[in-house]
Amino acid sequence: MRMLLEQFLNGLTIGSFYALVAMGYSMVYGVMKLINFAHGDLFALGSYLGYTVLVIGAGWITQVFGIWGGVAVAITAAMIGIGIAGLVVERIAYRPVYKAGRLPIVVSALGMSIFISNGIMAIWSPRFQAYPQNAIPSGILSFGDIRITLVKLVTLLVSLALMAFIYWLVERTLFGAAVRATALDRDTATLMGINFSKIILFVFFVGPALGAMAGVFAGLNYGRIIFNLGWGYGLKAFTATILGGIGNIPGAMIGGLLLGVMESLFEGFVSGAWKSVFVFLVLIIILIVRPTGLIGEKIAEKV
Amino acid sequence: MADITRKVAQRILNSQKKGKTPTKIAPFQLVLLAAAIVLLVAYPFFPFVNNYWIDVGFFVGIYVLLGLSLNIVLGEVGLFDLGHAAFYAIGAYTTGILFTQLHIPIVALLPISAIVAGGFAYLVTSPIIHLRGDYLCIVTIGIGEIVRITALNNPFGLTKGANGITGIGTPDFGLFSFQTPTHFYYYIWIIVALVIIGLLNLQKSRVGRAWNFIREDEIAAEANGIDVRSYKLLAFVLGAALAGIAGNVYASKMMVISPDNFTFMESCLLFCIVLLGGLGSIPGNMLGAAAIVIFPEIFRQFASYKLLFFGAALVVMMIFRPGGIWPRRREGVGFRGLGISGLPKDEDEFLSKIPKESVLVSSGSNSSSPVSAESSAEKADGDVVLVTKSVTMQFGGLTAVNNFDLIVRQGKISSLIGPNGAGKTTLFNVITGIYRPTSGKVVFLGKNITGLKPHTIVSKGIARTFQNIRLFPSLTCIENVMSGPHCHAHSGAWSSILRLPGQKREECRILEIATYRLHQVGLWQYRNELAKNLPYGKQRLLEIARALATSPKLLVLDEPSSGLNDKETEELMDSLKSLIAEGFTLLLIEHDMNVVMGISDWVTVMDMGSKIAEGLPSQIYNNPRVIEAYLGKEE
Repeated sequence: MRMLLEQFLNGLTIGSFYALVAMGYSMVYGVMKLINFAHGDLFALGSYLGYTVLVIGAGWITQVFGIWGGVAVAITAAMIGIGIAGLVVERIAYRPVYKAGRLPIVVSALGMSIFISNGIMAIWSPRFQAYPQNAIPSGILSFGDIRITLVKLVTLLVSLALMAFIYWLVERTLFGAAVRATALDRDTATLMGINFSKIILFVFFVGPALGAMAGVFAGLNYGRIIFNLGWGYGLKAFTATILGGIGNIPGAMIGGLLLGVMESLFEGFVSGAWKSVFVFLVLIIILIVRPTGLIGEKIAEKV
Repeated sequence: MADITRKVAQRILNSQKKGKTPTKIAPFQLVLLAAAIVLLVAYPFFPFVNNYWIDVGFFVGIYVLLGLSLNIVLGEVGLFDLGHAAFYAIGAYTTGILFTQLHIPIVALLPISAIVAGGFAYLVTSPIIHLRGDYLCIVTIGIGEIVRITALNNPFGLTKGANGITGIGTPDFGLFSFQTPTHFYYYIWIIVALVIIGLLNLQKSRVGRAWNFIREDEIAAEANGIDVRSYKLLAFVLGAALAGIAGNVYASKMMVISPDNFTFMESCLLFCIVLLGGLGSIPGNMLGAAAIVIFPEIFRQFASYKLLFFGAALVVMMIFRPGGIWPRRREGVGFRGLGISGLPKDEDEFLSKIPKESVLVSSGSNSSSPVSAESSAEKADGDVVLVTKSVTMQFGGLTAVNNFDLIVRQGKISSLIGPNGAGKTTLFNVITGIYRPTSGKVVFLGKNITGLKPHTIVSKGIARTFQNIRLFPSLTCIENVMSGPHCHAHSGAWSSILRLPGQKREECRILEIATYRLHQVGLWQYRNELAKNLPYGKQRLLEIARALATSPKLLVLDEPSSGLNDKETEELMDSLKSLIAEGFTLLLIEHDMNVVMGISDWVTVMDMGSKIAEGLPSQIYNNPRVIEAYLGKEE
């Protein structure tokens, strides 16, 4: 029972990373109909930015803001940096190719992904980098015989709060309605006076920024990071996006959390080596039954 | 013999004599081809080419083969496959395992690897082949990962985990066995050459065209008699089999394989080869593969930066050449390319080649003179062709078609009219098999066709056009029309690859039917134009020609006059009447009352999914319920 709960909490944590990254995929996909393959690598880049802020500023940031303040600074810096990086990627790699159809832009995205992950390797070396121990808040909470690190608890709470905020923003505000309208039909939305560039700005800033936050949290939780970290997380997050129904932001959150929990439980109780096989099999089975994901709407093509 | 047919044939032959023969290869291309062959054959003997560079040449060959294999799936059919390395891996591991465990010779394992990879592809893709675009993409990525992780986990001790299988032998043809890089270089390139010949033949066959139709518009393809599901599966199986061959050759060359050779990155590279070269383009594919293999070699001294450059280069390429290095051009299609009796010599010969049933639908019972008023009065109720018996179609809580009975009689123009949203198109979709009705039956020529797939219904003799024109936009007009006869032809992949005589004859017939139909609607001069470049009115005509080319017994037209100007509409009415003269039966949805009243023999009125009236046009014209449905009730 204890193990079940702990695995569940672990799954929820990793699931919240997946969910945060998946939301970025889903936002961009909704508006551009593009799988942003560079998104996973932006997540990794975010993790490295957070790491750099903590390493370089370890002394004084922690002194001035305290250990939690330091973490907050690192996360904020990573989010802003990666948000801007997201906009740059859109500007140089996607916008010029957008008109050429759906496949060239995929190659452009793959190229960007390779570029970013190898850029990270060139800057920070191909080896694992350890998040500075003195910057990671320590402390373990016990609830009965369930133990959870403070970092994990904060990760979970902050991620869930942020997801709730994005959910509110997209589903409950006028601006969110504009984002959803653009996702449904870009041309009509533009004709109705929705400023498309603003929507682009929003999804390409906020999406990667969410990923960056997940990246820093991943570093804080697991302690070390590597340049190609983005591909594994990116793939799982993308799987989560499809699981929920691509283009659908609540779907991405649920897909991410579900995927994390499933994976973690399978790892804990069956086999770690086969967990990815399990995840993909589940995905395939779900898609056979529901071809547009768990809460993706049915796409009835008008004939 | 029909006068119309004779006249049309005469005009075709005249224009064919005048026109260029489109299939002749330009001398420039021949020179290029010869140069490429000489270069590839002589490459190992160039002074600067040492064993290292011969190996580079070998890997270019492997990647050409892999690129070609993915090109079938991605380029020809447009299926988003980002896990193609899985099939490559299956081929390599089949070779590795069977060689090390059972000592089967490598050469014998070549076809076995192809079959195992193809069979694997069939098994894993048949449940998911209906998924669209990006959903299919993630599933193929998933399949790629499942195969790689499975190999990594060493099930039953077969795959040897992360270290992989070592000690794989080399190909051995009796006395001669492959040892040196040069041997392998020629080995792979001979395979590549054979594959290219086969694929070129396939591109110019009904199989290759069917793939392209699916890529261009899946629904239109299905509605024109293409069995979309089977052709998609065929593409996966064939693509996987070629990848399996590449896996076999790779394993025998390297003598060791490990899961690291078959990562997602590998699938990405293959994807990039196809797009860098140009979708569906075989020469483009070769250039793409060469670029992918040679690029990192050039940047070798920058070691850790080479992939950085590579990523940037991909982005830059797509910005400046999104269509690829050598995009595929649609070539003209002509009798000459078929290489049998060649161009028909005179009109009689051409006429004798046109299968009668395709020109005159029921040549026996129908005299070909235009149907006169008397003859239609005589047969006031001709034989029933199509009946819908209390068809109901519900979407969720919405009843789009309610308990609808419709009768269409032989040799008549029946019209279905009704206000917007009445459910007319839905009923058409039920008749043509795109929807399966919630209840009720559709009976065509005495046979129940309810719930059959659209392509089966087409082959039984119902062809359709769409309200919003659905052509195959990036294919030429003649290719569009060549989709019609597809459903009555039988040549499969093998006879197309080998160009067997029966296949050539069939191609010739397909071309003849298409030629005839294209001429009939007056678009012969545009035969080698891409369909998307035609003006709107001509696109409508092309769609009608395409439907006629399926040799239908019943032609179902969804608002044929919409978007046409007055003159075009009049021409359309004339051609519709002449179709009746040819023996077709027509069912129209139409909004233009001049058209409906002018040419219909029978009018059925639909409102809110139900039938509210039917009768002769004159009866409908004054029916108060019809007026009410269109204009609302007078208070």
